[in-house]
Amino acid sequence: MAGIYDGLTVIELADRRNQWAGKMLSDGGARVIQIEPVAGSPGRWCGPFVDDEPDPDRCIDYWWYNTGKESLAIDISRPVSGPLIRDLLSQADVFLDSALPGTLTELGLDYPSLKSNKALIHVSLTDFGQDGPWRDYAMNDHAHLALGGQMSSSGYSDPKETPIGGQGRHAWHMGCAFVLHGITVALFDRESSGAGQYVDVSIHDACALGTEAAVPQWMYYGSTMYRHTGMHANPKRLPPLQLPTADGKYIIAVMQNFGTRVWNYLLAWMDEKGVSGELHDPIFQDEAYRMSEYRTGSVIRDAVARLIAASDGEECFHRAQENGISWGLVHAAEENYDVAHYQQRDYWREIEHPEIGRAIPYPRGPFDCDALGIEPRGRAPHLGENTDPILTQDLGLSAESISALRDSGAVR
Amino acid sequence: MNGGPDKRTGVLSGIRVLDFSWKTVGPWAPRLLTHYGAEVIHVERADGWDSHRYNATPHIMSDDAQPVDLPGATQTHIDPQFNTLGEEKAADGKEQQVLYAAPYFNTLHHGKLAISLNTKSPEGLQLVDQLIGKCDALVENFSGGVLASWGLTWEKMKEINPRLVYMSTTGFGHTGDWKGYRSFGPTAAAQSGLSLASGLPGKPPAGWGFSYLDVMGGWMGGLALVQGLLRAKKTGKGARIDYSVTEGAMSMLGTYLLDYQVNGRPTRRPGFPPGNRAVFPALAPHNTYRCAGRDRVGQDWWVFIACETQAQFEALCGVMEQPALALDPQFATNEARVAHQDALDDIIGRWTRPRRRYAIMRLCQEAGVIAASVQSAEDRVEYDPQLQHRQMYPVIEHPELGAVPNEGYPVKMSRTPAFVHGRAPAYGEHNQYVYGELLGMSDEEIHSLRERGVI
Repeated sequence: MAGIYDGLTVIELADRRNQWAGKMLSDGGARVIQIEPVAGSPGRWCGPFVDDEPDPDRCIDYWWYNTGKESLAIDISRPVSGPLIRDLLSQADVFLDSALPGTLTELGLDYPSLKSNKALIHVSLTDFGQDGPWRDYAMNDHAHLALGGQMSSSGYSDPKETPIGGQGRHAWHMGCAFVLHGITVALFDRESSGAGQYVDVSIHDACALGTEAAVPQWMYYGSTMYRHTGMHANPKRLPPLQLPTADGKYIIAVMQNFGTRVWNYLLAWMDEKGVSGELHDPIFQDEAYRMSEYRTGSVIRDAVARLIAASDGEECFHRAQENGISWGLVHAAEENYDVAHYQQRDYWREIEHPEIGRAIPYPRGPFDCDALGIEPRGRAPHLGENTDPILTQDLGLSAESISALRDSGAVR
Repeated sequence: MNGGPDKRTGVLSGIRVLDFSWKTVGPWAPRLLTHYGAEVIHVERADGWDSHRYNATPHIMSDDAQPVDLPGATQTHIDPQFNTLGEEKAADGKEQQVLYAAPYFNTLHHGKLAISLNTKSPEGLQLVDQLIGKCDALVENFSGGVLASWGLTWEKMKEINPRLVYMSTTGFGHTGDWKGYRSFGPTAAAQSGLSLASGLPGKPPAGWGFSYLDVMGGWMGGLALVQGLLRAKKTGKGARIDYSVTEGAMSMLGTYLLDYQVNGRPTRRPGFPPGNRAVFPALAPHNTYRCAGRDRVGQDWWVFIACETQAQFEALCGVMEQPALALDPQFATNEARVAHQDALDDIIGRWTRPRRRYAIMRLCQEAGVIAASVQSAEDRVEYDPQLQHRQMYPVIEHPELGAVPNEGYPVKMSRTPAFVHGRAPAYGEHNQYVYGELLGMSDEEIHSLRERGVI
């Protein structure tokens, strides 16, 4: 399949922060060479591992974030490595790093040192960008969710309970989304100008942008948000929208309207479950009254909660959705494998894994679009799997030279 | 002015996007292109389809909620998230003020142009066809089938403009059993598995306290849009992009999905999610700790602290002036700390409780320990020195509101810098430019369209 990044060569300095961006470039058809320490990318050592046994070639998190990449295991701090990496970068289209600001300068791998390749797009994804008073602060994904504002809005209605950051590396995802924007816009420019550029992306800046209405609420109204269990933070205390079902799950009962069709269906469903209470009172025939009561009262809300408590989760989701109500069921990620809808949309891609002797289904990726062609094209590389071919074919080293490098511990 | 159509610079200047988006996830995508100079024409109907403009409550300049009654309005979609003062309607809503007084609309649509258009009128749909011929991309986030109900199929769009990039964002995509299902950010977060992966063990899911998938989903939609435009520039060919936000979310949950496939470990299991603790890799300490003080609504202040290396933990012991902790067999190694993290969290929590959060953050960071205040919007906008240094809230002059800060753009590019083009448009502000200059209509024709309710 042709991909939007076909024909590009990307050099990625291994780091857990930038690897999703590299994966999307690889999934989009680019040749992505990940330069790893000889002991392996930190992404190989975080787990989970196959059978929970640590092994750099059997780290499942690494598998996911590094589909289709090549691995060049080389110690970039060794003087002998510098010219090799600069040679590789002289042939590259994109250089993706997450090095601590300043460290690439010491290695002669900063943008000014690489400018002989005028078409190179060099993107640095770092915690705070290349400048500013917090530039050198130590962070991880969860720390960004705290500092960036996600946690402040997320958690529980109990004011004594901790704010919560969602699991799953989403601060890094947010940073990577903007890395991909920057690269793609730079490629758009390069199509006509022929020129590359330097792109500085800050994870903190990206996260600070990613809290929906919290910032405008503060800017315009001076509002501070209350956290609410399982739902949006809000300047006012609101009744719950995440409601328990009969089978121990939760429905997000987002209600947008109580038009006639929706109302009649809900009422019939409530009757069926014996929970309609006083909703047959003629006053509820007035849509405006219904909306008003829902927003300020508790009669309809209580009835909706009783309805959901009397119904199973899947029943709630489908009956609501089939009648124009946008409720969602709190699924577990793995439960999506059994959903026919995603199979009908050809969402899963079988990727062969010789490490376990079988293929496993990967998510396709965010877009259903053959023209962009973004989907996993193969498994993640083993540590140093492509070291020899890259040194031989891309850098023209002899077998003897490679052997000497390996003996000295500079490559693996 | 919001910069207007004639002053655009930037790497995407000359790109024109027809923007039928509403709510949050849709508008984000083309907004990101305005930072590079694309001309985004936001199309609005006069029947109140976007609560972010029409239900801006409370009104910025009064104490009362003032949803606007626009000519032709038949309904307003109520969104409890953004309606904070109840539902009182103002009898004398002053149109100009209300149209500007829409904070979230201003945020999502700044730098765009705005036109009004009645897509229920055949003439209105003819105007859509003409605009497609003048644009490089079309963006919408209606439920599946809405555009087709206008007679606007992808085949027809292609026929009008073979270079058109059509990017459609939906909750579940345009094919499959659920193509007619509707979704807002929380719906997609719930269905994808994202919500379940956030919370304390043994408690209901905390989820995300905002529509993360409307934000991140909008950014991914914007990425698809730029990718489509890049392809069009290279090949001269358009593309249709069917972006399902739920599928986009699942594509960020790959580790959990593969762990289930390989190890049979589900995310619906006891002990998961682990609050703010770390599972893969297991690290301790890695948690939020209560500090001195509370925010404006009485919620405690918190700081996040983590040690990913032994050196960081020993430094933290020094910062807390408890060096003996590093020698205690319960805490001497990361493995031991993970096994005893309840006890460790108690010790750290007792240290942070009387202290102020930024002081803790500074002390820890000076010692190389990961520490971050849980920052609110106020903290970030008013006090965060890093965001100020990076100019993340540039001030834009607004005719009604004066000098107001706007959200900036987090990518600094050396050759093709991004910028904030200008304020959000008023309703129908650019009808004259779009219908007059772009489509070549006379003033009389535009007046007639307006009289007949087409625009």
